[in-house]
Amino acid sequence: MVELTSSFMLDYETLDRDHQRLADIVNLIVGAIDGDEGEKCEDLVIDFVKSAKAHFAKEEALLAKVGFPNVKRHHDHHESLNFKMEHLIEFAKNAGDNKLARDSLRKELVFFLMDDIITADMDFKNFIEKKSNAEKT
Amino acid sequence: MKGLHVIGVSHAYGNNKVLNNVSLMIPAGELVCLLGPSGSGKTTLLRLAAGLERLQQGEILINDEVVANAKMHLPPEHRGIGLMFQEYALFPHLSIIDNVTFGLDGQPKDKAHRRAMEMLDQVGMTAYAESYPHMLSGGQQQRIALARALAPEPKLLLLDEPYSGLDTNLRGQIREDTLSVLKASGVATVMVTHDPEEAMFMADRIKILGNNGRILQAGRPHDIYYHPQHEFVAKLFGLMNRFESVVKDGHVDIPLGRIPAKGLENGRKVAVLVRPEGVTLTSNGGAKSAAGAPLEVVSTHLLGHDNIVRVALTADNVPASERDVYVRIHHTFEPELSQQITAGIDPEYAFIFPTDEEGESTGTGNRLLSVSQPEAAE
Repeated sequence: MVELTSSFMLDYETLDRDHQRLADIVNLIVGAIDGDEGEKCEDLVIDFVKSAKAHFAKEEALLAKVGFPNVKRHHDHHESLNFKMEHLIEFAKNAGDNKLARDSLRKELVFFLMDDIITADMDFKNFIEKKSNAEKT
Repeated sequence: MKGLHVIGVSHAYGNNKVLNNVSLMIPAGELVCLLGPSGSGKTTLLRLAAGLERLQQGEILINDEVVANAKMHLPPEHRGIGLMFQEYALFPHLSIIDNVTFGLDGQPKDKAHRRAMEMLDQVGMTAYAESYPHMLSGGQQQRIALARALAPEPKLLLLDEPYSGLDTNLRGQIREDTLSVLKASGVATVMVTHDPEEAMFMADRIKILGNNGRILQAGRPHDIYYHPQHEFVAKLFGLMNRFESVVKDGHVDIPLGRIPAKGLENGRKVAVLVRPEGVTLTSNGGAKSAAGAPLEVVSTHLLGHDNIVRVALTADNVPASERDVYVRIHHTFEPELSQQITAGIDPEYAFIFPTDEEGESTGTGNRLLSVSQPEAAE
């Protein structure tokens, strides 16, 4: 199961809440796979993808607003994840009766959440910290 | 979450910044390859994870425990890691069983011996327990090195170019054996390599490090090969045919065909990269009006299963720099030098990258969705 420890907190409530929500959905999907309920995966993954896209849009708007210098690069990174999300949905569609699809879905979801989304967002953790310290002083 | 997390790591040797805000995650049971050219920082990243270098900026966690950040540095021996380098580094004066037992010195002798024998069994080397390293081949020594690294049941296994000392035939077999042992162990593994084929074979996920010390792209081997986001990444996997063009009416024209340029504005300069296996050759049987780009075969080279064919595009409007094209085809199709054939393109193997005025790639790639052939040559 995915658990977000303090090292993965940006200390920016909106984004941390989004990350937690995505982690919760991933855990539901992993639970469905482990509980032999692969047929539930498709709806859950569609929800995950919708939530991820909404998170990307919110995050980009927020980063632009606070003046993060690498918004374009982060936007490009988000764009580059589109085909991976298509793959996730494809795996989920087949998860009900295909073990390989279930195994691939579990593996890719964890990488997608932890590596492509959360770890990639650590890119601006320092920036947010500095910005927040500057505002306090 | 079990595994390795590297968060926002930057590292420099003097003024030379080798890692620039690198983050990555490797869950338990997965193998991630760090792939990049010499000097891209991949070995530095491995050494930082191992604790062989002090972290300058960022944070490293193993199984959710912080092992290094700007304030603390857990010594390598307390990190629960296994290391394997290309030199095997077996102790020449110790027998094989003693080499494998070496890392288990905190355990009762009987238990350590049992564990070492278990590991030798896993790598198929129990018969050599009483032998010495010099009596073994390179491949066998590599297996012993793997058994020794895994014997203490590490939380994380770090492999630095582990197969570079082996010859090509042996390498394939050892890779496969290693992979099955690693999967059975469930350990999170990071492997450094500069060999794209090795990374494709071994990895659950590949991280491409560029010369700027940044991770350029991460994904499954399939993602990296079929969806490269940078020209640098596309070129890592061997020969590429490169064409320059400009987006016009939502398309790009190259000598091999017309390509939709999804998401790129008209007037944008682009580079189109086509893998040799993405160039299709069609024999015209002497007819002059078949679709495709006219060409002459310059040379063919048999590579075993495939032929690499070098062709020259002959249409007048092809720039000199884009006339030479490499094509990979099945070995049974060996075009004769004088044969009338034309070239087309398979979109699975073609990628568009925006460029600047000098033709250098500037942004992320645009995967092609469909391709139309040019009008038949007159």
